[in-house]
Amino acid sequence: MSFNKALNDEEVFSEMRKMVAFIKQEALEKAREIKVKADEEFNIEKAKLVRQEAINIDAAFQRKVKQADVQRRIAQSNNINKSRMTLLLTRQQMLDDLFAESRTQLLTVTKDPARYEKFLSDSILQSFFRLLETEVTIQYRMADKALIDKLLPGVKARYEEATQQTVDVQFLGDHLPADGAGGVIVAGNGGRTKCNNTPEARLAILEEDMLPLVRDMLFGQSPNRRFFN
Amino acid sequence: MAASNSTGIQTLLEAEKEASKIVQKARTYRVQRLKDARAEAAKEIEELKASKNEAFKNFEQEHAGSSDQTSHRVEVETEQKRVEIEAAFAKNREAVLHKLLDTVFAVEPKIHPNARFN
Repeated sequence: MSFNKALNDEEVFSEMRKMVAFIKQEALEKAREIKVKADEEFNIEKAKLVRQEAINIDAAFQRKVKQADVQRRIAQSNNINKSRMTLLLTRQQMLDDLFAESRTQLLTVTKDPARYEKFLSDSILQSFFRLLETEVTIQYRMADKALIDKLLPGVKARYEEATQQTVDVQFLGDHLPADGAGGVIVAGNGGRTKCNNTPEARLAILEEDMLPLVRDMLFGQSPNRRFFN
Repeated sequence: MAASNSTGIQTLLEAEKEASKIVQKARTYRVQRLKDARAEAAKEIEELKASKNEAFKNFEQEHAGSSDQTSHRVEVETEQKRVEIEAAFAKNREAVLHKLLDTVFAVEPKIHPNARFN
């Protein structure tokens, strides 16, 4: 089409239509581009948001699970501890009862004249041997005075024979309780060193020192034990 | 000719106006799409949360059951052992008492091995 001559109305019209159509076409294409991009961004944005939160949700879930597990284990450990405690308390109580009973039974031997006499004589000698002093004091039950008077010379003789030393014995006015199991408390070094050889004191020592044996007699050896020296 | 020119320009201007309306609608659509993305994402996230919570509840229920079982078992075992202890005590008590008494009253007077007399 040449621009040498003026256009007639028809041609103008046709050109107008083409231009209008062109403008519209461009607009539609641009609109379509925008829409397509919008849809893409929609998908990307949505996926991004969901993925971010999904990670958080999963992490929270894991944490909850782990915490529940920890709680469960704590509860289990507490149960086991409680159980052990119960058993230990039971044993302790049985032992306490046992020793209490043994304390009352001391008297049965004390009241046995033959046994008690031998005990008194040997324990006084033992006390002398422990102290190895030349001057000692002796504490006793009032009821035993006569017995001790009878036995003392023999004990002193045994002592002198074994150590080649003499021992001077003074009787203290402070007596042992009459309802006790007897025995003696011998003191040397001006009363500062005491050897308490009463059955009660001896039993108290045993309560600690004999625990392994007591355990063995009552319950047998522990199945987990590995060292026996 | 001037009259037809101005009509022509008019037509073109209107065409441009229409065109920009079309493009504007597309832009509005875009903005809406972004909002939709957020809304739909939020909905999906809520669903995920709900399903995870369900899963956790199920998990908890299973385990609550099992921990009760174990604690009950521990109790039963403890009671058993306690009874055993008491029985062992009752059986061996006399022997132990006897041994204790014997040891209390068994005296062996001895001099310390390192003792020296001047």
